[in-house]
Amino acid sequence: MTTTPAAMIATRIMELRKRRGLMITLIVLDIGFPAVFYLIRLIGHAFAPLANPPAGSGQIFTIFAAGFLPTFGFIAAVTVGCTAGSRDLSEGMFRHLVVTGRSRLALYLARIPAGLAIVASLVAIGYAIICAVSVFAAPTFIDYNNVNIPPGLSRAEFGNWARDRAEPVVCSLPYSGQVPANLPCPLPLSKSAVTPAQAAPAKLEALAVKIANQDYPGYTALFLSPPDSLMIEAGLWIELEAVVAFTVGLGLASLMGQRTVPLVLLIVFQLIVTPILSAVDIPHLQDLQRSVVGLAVARLEPSGLPMAAALPGVTGGVGRGAGPSLLPESATVAVCVIIAWLASWTILGAWRMMTRDA
Amino acid sequence: MQRAGHQMITAAVPGVPGKLAGESRWAVETHGLTKRFGAKAAVNGVELLVPRGSAFGYLGPNGAGKTTLIRVLLGLTHADAGTMSLLGYPVPRHRDAALARVGAIVDEPRFHPHLTGRQNLRLLAAAREPAARDRIGPALERVGLAHRSDDRVSAYSMGMRQRLGVAACLLADPELLLLDEPMNGLDPAGMAEMRELILSMVADGRTVVLSSHLLDEIERTCDAVAIVDHGTIIRQGPIAELLAGAQLALQVECSEPGRARALLAGTTIGASVKVVPSALGLDMTLPAGADRDVVAEINRVLVDGGISIYRLQPVQTSLESWFLQVTTRLGDPH
Repeated sequence: MTTTPAAMIATRIMELRKRRGLMITLIVLDIGFPAVFYLIRLIGHAFAPLANPPAGSGQIFTIFAAGFLPTFGFIAAVTVGCTAGSRDLSEGMFRHLVVTGRSRLALYLARIPAGLAIVASLVAIGYAIICAVSVFAAPTFIDYNNVNIPPGLSRAEFGNWARDRAEPVVCSLPYSGQVPANLPCPLPLSKSAVTPAQAAPAKLEALAVKIANQDYPGYTALFLSPPDSLMIEAGLWIELEAVVAFTVGLGLASLMGQRTVPLVLLIVFQLIVTPILSAVDIPHLQDLQRSVVGLAVARLEPSGLPMAAALPGVTGGVGRGAGPSLLPESATVAVCVIIAWLASWTILGAWRMMTRDA
Repeated sequence: MQRAGHQMITAAVPGVPGKLAGESRWAVETHGLTKRFGAKAAVNGVELLVPRGSAFGYLGPNGAGKTTLIRVLLGLTHADAGTMSLLGYPVPRHRDAALARVGAIVDEPRFHPHLTGRQNLRLLAAAREPAARDRIGPALERVGLAHRSDDRVSAYSMGMRQRLGVAACLLADPELLLLDEPMNGLDPAGMAEMRELILSMVADGRTVVLSSHLLDEIERTCDAVAIVDHGTIIRQGPIAELLAGAQLALQVECSEPGRARALLAGTTIGASVKVVPSALGLDMTLPAGADRDVVAEINRVLVDGGISIYRLQPVQTSLESWFLQVTTRLGDPH
């Protein structure tokens, strides 16, 4: 009688957890960056609340949830995957494990939950920090291009608010139309200049209302603190990306029998090749482009992360611009692509492990 | 200590694991086993029978295919032809069942260096039966590593890693141990300890297959031996029987060695005895199976010829000298 898979998984977790360098890297990537960033903002706001805005904001939540955490989570997950897929072999332990008589498939499969337990938990901790600060240290005004806007305004209220602050609105808020060249916009615009209402010519007020009307859909996507549903969806999406990264890394490293090369290949593929593929339209290769897992994962990004498109080169922003994507892809197709990648790399990695000379 | 006799008979290949496997008298049985690397056959039609409960030496010069055979037996690499069974289980068909009762060291024992010895064993025990976890402590005690078991393996010496490898073998409570060069890297004291450890495991009733190029260690440790060269077994059987069939050496210290050699050449003895002059007399090599009457006849011929005999000493053939007789690459350093 052999042991339960749980015992094998537990010892695989131990084996990964005891790698100090790996764990330090993971903690820095997944937890360290957001923790330090928010800590600085919390301290700054606590000591000088007028000069430093509250630590949390919808904008920063979006940047972390759609940009930094998926990117760093991807690197962390693929690092764990490549480590789990190669170190038994390179450190000579694979042979001992094979000699136990336990099937090689079981040995391979035990690595998946073990690695995911570490990857998912660290990503979850990092994300929990982001959510906690976003909720408990949320600002009272929405900061939109350095203009403080009250939340929850209707279209008419937003127009009225814009009319009363015509100059900063015209100077700061996005607008696709023509703006008079002789506007008295301070550069850079200071908060003190925009917060109090200022008298303005009627022409400027009319333009501000027009801008507000155009920006209203964007305004409604902004929030003081993220809604619960968005936090849950974004959390699941970030975890999905980590799962994909780990599984592909595990499979490729098992296939190649080494860690460094597959690690570099996957990071380059995800952070350089995938954004390029998302930005170009190759008429005869669109289906091939759609089969890229990074694009499929990006397709599933929660719609409430509006800043993602403004984060060039990051995973969350890939393939989902402010306008329609170059490669329209249904959610069903995206899910199929992700499943296919997970299954393919698992099968390839397991096959190589079962056929490799130990 | 149990010393099983070695009989060159062919056991029926077991067909039903768990029923006939325990009845097989052979711990290891191979027929026509072949493993090629390109055009080179590292294991070439090996016919090997290792009796249960014995200490069996697998002896060969460097590159003879010793490690490859063990790797094939353990399923670490596949065979190109032939059949094999471990503990009566045909492999690779029932490899998992067979390996559940097999412990092995192949090449240099390597472990995760960032883990302690005990943690490495936990990792291996988790892949075996639940009872294997309970064997970690006793295994570490038995190999003398208990006091260093919580140190990282990266701090272990080569000898300590060898011992940890043996401890890993013991997790299986093995009926069969396949040890590939277990003395490598050990100092004389470590070699003596390892030898005692192996002998104690044989005394427990386990079968130990010891692959080595250290002839002295094989001779001290094993009951039976197989000599392998160029991937082929060229001799196998109990060491005592094999040495009994070896040529006998005779050292003769005498006056007038040249005339003594001529005297012997003129008799019927000269046709079968190889005589080489030495510093003090003659070194002779008698044919295999020569008894002491031949020695007496040599003595009589020389004395009758007026040669003074100062010393006449048969030299027992060692495994080493026999090994050098039967292998083609003499003294090939490992």
